[in-house]
Amino acid sequence: MKVMPRERIDLVAPLAGDFYAVVRLIIGGIAERVDFAFEEIDDLQLAVERLLAEAGQTGSVRLSFEVAENRIRARVGPLNERAIAEALRDGEQPAGALTLKRILQTVVDSFGVEEAEDGSIMVRLEKLRGIP
Amino acid sequence: MTSSRRPGTSESQRGQDRELLRRYHEDGDTGARELLIQRHLPLVRSLARRYAGRGEALEDIEQVGAIGLIKAIDRFELAREVSLATYATPNVVGEIKRHFRDKGWAIRVPRALQELNASMSGAIERLTLRLGRSPSIAEIAEELKTSPEEVLEAMEVGSAYSTVSLSAGPSGDDELDPLETIGGEDAEFERSEDRAALEPALERLAPREREILRMRFEEGLPQTQIAQRVGLSQMHVSRLIRKSLAMMREELLRPRPGGGPVHEQDRRQGGRTLR
Repeated sequence: MKVMPRERIDLVAPLAGDFYAVVRLIIGGIAERVDFAFEEIDDLQLAVERLLAEAGQTGSVRLSFEVAENRIRARVGPLNERAIAEALRDGEQPAGALTLKRILQTVVDSFGVEEAEDGSIMVRLEKLRGIP
Repeated sequence: MTSSRRPGTSESQRGQDRELLRRYHEDGDTGARELLIQRHLPLVRSLARRYAGRGEALEDIEQVGAIGLIKAIDRFELAREVSLATYATPNVVGEIKRHFRDKGWAIRVPRALQELNASMSGAIERLTLRLGRSPSIAEIAEELKTSPEEVLEAMEVGSAYSTVSLSAGPSGDDELDPLETIGGEDAEFERSEDRAALEPALERLAPREREILRMRFEEGLPQTQIAQRVGLSQMHVSRLIRKSLAMMREELLRPRPGGGPVHEQDRRQGGRTLR
């Protein structure tokens, strides 16, 4: 089943209580709709999971998934400042450094930092489908 | 103190442990801490084996147990008249039991789902070989004659654990395997300048996990290729990557002698930040 372009799913998840598995399941369900490969789903789940780890242990986090025919764009936030600074860091990374930026560069096709309407900072991830 | 003696824990080993503990706690020598961890990993492996077969991969239990070992080393008081092995054992066992207990909420996985999870690895390998790429969920579902929704659920089963009572604990709690030889460092990692400069958090991982992370995030290899190289299933590689990253982050946030989490110290020293 294919979804129509620009479908959007919004979710607010608690940070406490180990809800990662629930979020992973939801991401899997969304990605399956656009025929993502097993490994691509795993990549997107890992990216979101690493960002959730930077969002702290209290309160909640917003997740937004914009789904098109061959890609998923996810927004996750708000995150703490250090994580955002890390994601924004310019220039060459030291060889061998395994930073959040390096992880995102590996597992998603693009990412960036956005300011939401309420002024909070969100991280945007985009993953493209590899299967033609 | 006689009660602190364990088979294979010689006086000289205990003496070496105490000297390393002194160097770590009094001088802040993190190299001594690393040596202590390596020396006692065989103990962790021995204890972890008792909890195998409860729905969790042995190496994952070992990693959880290693956290207990690290906590024991960090909390050890030099005035104690017990060996580190004796002191660490309840810490390691406690960490493993807590791990199972904390994951207990997500359990009650139906048997059919457990069986589906067990058959997924093979299906993914077959399909990857047949298609020349990672299969989609729909393709896995078709291969296993089930629905995509069930495949997705089964994917998450690996994150849950069976609700086995741990109250009885493993048998033979008084038994300890001899402390074996000091764990050897992988020469490949030692040779590389990059490896030598990597954060302490990365060094907490077993050589195989470090190598998997290096292949994934430095070489940029897909999981399928990594799985072939290390002789594991793609699903297992995926779980090891996730768990390794989570453990590294936990290690970075752990307070150390001298104050502050590891990543704060690294930053002050102009080092690298690892998440």
